[in-house]
Amino acid sequence: MADEPATTSEPPKQDKAGRNGGGAEFAALRHLLVGPEQSRLEELATELRDRHVSAADLAEHLPEAIVLRGKRDRQIGRALAPTVETALRESIRRNPREIATAIFPILGPAIRKAIAETMAALVRSINSAVEHSLSARGIKWRIESWRTGVPYPQVVIKHALVYRVEQAFLIHAETGLLIAHATAPGLKSPDADLISGMLTAIQDFVRDSFRPGEGATLRTFSVGDHTVQVEAGPMALLALIIRGQAPEEVLRKQQDTLETIHLQFAAPLAEFSGDTAPLQTVHPLLEECLETVVDTDAQGRGEYLWMRWVIPLAIAAGALLVVLIRANTRFDRAVAALENEPGLVVMNARRGWLGWVITGLRDPAAREPQVVLAGAGLLPRALKGRWEPYMSLDSGVVVTRARQQWALPATTPLSLRSDTLTVSGDLPLSSLGMMRQRGLPPGVSDVIVSDSRVILPPHLDSIRLAIVDERVLFAPGAAEANLGERARARAVAIQVKLLADSVGAHAGELTLTIIGRTDPTGTMEANQALAQWRVDHVTAIFAALGVRPDFVRGEPLATSRPLSAADSAMQARINRSVSFDIDVSTRSRMTRGR
Amino acid sequence: MLQKKICMVGMFATGKTCLVQRYVHSIFSPRYLSTVGVKIDRKEVNVRGEPVTLLLWDLEGRDGNHDVNPSYVRGAHGLIFVVDGTRRDTFDQAFDIRESITSQVGEIPCAFAFNKADLTDEWQLTQADEDAVSARGLHVLRTSAKSGTGVEETFQWLADATLQKTGA
Repeated sequence: MADEPATTSEPPKQDKAGRNGGGAEFAALRHLLVGPEQSRLEELATELRDRHVSAADLAEHLPEAIVLRGKRDRQIGRALAPTVETALRESIRRNPREIATAIFPILGPAIRKAIAETMAALVRSINSAVEHSLSARGIKWRIESWRTGVPYPQVVIKHALVYRVEQAFLIHAETGLLIAHATAPGLKSPDADLISGMLTAIQDFVRDSFRPGEGATLRTFSVGDHTVQVEAGPMALLALIIRGQAPEEVLRKQQDTLETIHLQFAAPLAEFSGDTAPLQTVHPLLEECLETVVDTDAQGRGEYLWMRWVIPLAIAAGALLVVLIRANTRFDRAVAALENEPGLVVMNARRGWLGWVITGLRDPAAREPQVVLAGAGLLPRALKGRWEPYMSLDSGVVVTRARQQWALPATTPLSLRSDTLTVSGDLPLSSLGMMRQRGLPPGVSDVIVSDSRVILPPHLDSIRLAIVDERVLFAPGAAEANLGERARARAVAIQVKLLADSVGAHAGELTLTIIGRTDPTGTMEANQALAQWRVDHVTAIFAALGVRPDFVRGEPLATSRPLSAADSAMQARINRSVSFDIDVSTRSRMTRGR
Repeated sequence: MLQKKICMVGMFATGKTCLVQRYVHSIFSPRYLSTVGVKIDRKEVNVRGEPVTLLLWDLEGRDGNHDVNPSYVRGAHGLIFVVDGTRRDTFDQAFDIRESITSQVGEIPCAFAFNKADLTDEWQLTQADEDAVSARGLHVLRTSAKSGTGVEETFQWLADATLQKTGA
């Protein structure tokens, strides 16, 4: 029987030759007796054999496994927390400097942020109080600027340099050697390496002398108006030489810069042994620390705060004053314009916020107050008021009233002297009628019509023209017209009567001139007599038809002022005639009561 | 730029300050020694064509006290130990002081300057003393601040040694 352990839990099978027939039976028996235990033994053996493989596999898959489990729940964190805490505690106990160095870049900002937020409100309130106070110094500077002729901004800069970061030293903490150095433009510091060493020595000296706590350093010291502000990191110190009073922001910037340097140049700093080449690129960071701040803003704010209120207020007050003066002037001019306007009497005038309120008396013939103001360019946004009617005897109003009352066109000249109105120029027949119908307006007791020409309305003027164009013809030597010409004369007479009636209805006076002519045949005396006969003949016809003889006058011209024609026969014919002329006039004077 | 911090140590009145006074650039008064305890000077040397700036920390000398301010020697790249050749006691404590320093900064290049070599009549040190220094693997030179003997050589040797140590 073979003693080697079976590698399978299956019962052994008999080989082809049947040589192991006994062994197979034993194996079958063994399987029946200790089969389960044998299987368990085999499993344990496999586990023991695979143990080394599992550790290697675990190392391969551990990170991924942690990630996977971490996604599922927090068991990994909970399980590792005690171990990590213990490890951290042990590390800090053994080497606190390492941990301090490691967390230095993040610890500083966190602490400062908390402090800064607390202080910010206080600083703001203090700044506000300072800035909003009146600055006597600013006034003094203005006087100095005025006195010396130096521009005010230059005087401010001269006096108001708040601070200037003039130099920045980056010093290796252990050796005191200068790593990098930056100076403000215009400044030189050829012995920066010596200053750097001495700064470190003084740091050491102070620390050795006073034995402060762990990590404590000399942070600031002042000489005159210069302050040396030193910020120490684990591997390097950043010292700023500041002229004037630097605010808290400078320290924060200094700390930030130092932390950045520690973060970005950790390896070169740790390996530093006097060679500054690997740290050349730190220089721009130091230059960022250099700055010059002039207190133009703060002082200016003090100044301008005062100016900011006073100047606009003065401008506003001035503008308001100008507006008020202009408004008053405008109002006074408007009232004066109304008072000077014929037919308007201002009784009360006041100026309100929303407009003007003016009350008074107004002649109906006078212009509207709005029209008066608009004409003078003084119309306000709102004009209120009540105007009571009254009768004005102002000459302008009287003339206007007469023109309105008689519907006289504006082209007809009117002039009033005392109470006598003189009318001249063209006088419409309709206005003549109104003068008679409506009488004289108030303020007028006498009207003189001088050099006036009565203008007929178109329909009457056409009748007049038709009459003037007519001729009653006569046979040679005849003093009486034939039947046809008599009919023509009668037709003219009717037109004349119609025209005379119409003119008379408008108080006009019509004058009809009947002109008698003859041809040149015969003696002058005979022709003169013939012309008179012809005039008389037509006058008789007119009289028979009711044309009043009192406005008819005869004019026997005979052969004087003959009518002209194209040929002599025609000329002789048309001059054997009676023609007509019409003149319309009016009475030269109208008097009240007559 | 290559810089090295060199500490100059030695007992009181061994001539440390005088030794460097004529050969270095300084902006600080010797009074610093008695106030702050250190005065820093600069010495420019050239090592194999490369300029090296030695920042010399001239430490205050003390009598009867082996302690050197550890703050001042921290990070030093080299050491000049100044012994007054006319005062044997300044040499007797030299090795103790050096050991005190090396315990703080480790093994760094060290040059022994047997100073005041011009005062031959008063000279108290022997060749055996120089050999004792050399036997410790340290460099030794006779120097004279008055005549300048050995001063430049001392700086030059130390600069070279510090560069060799840092592999520069």
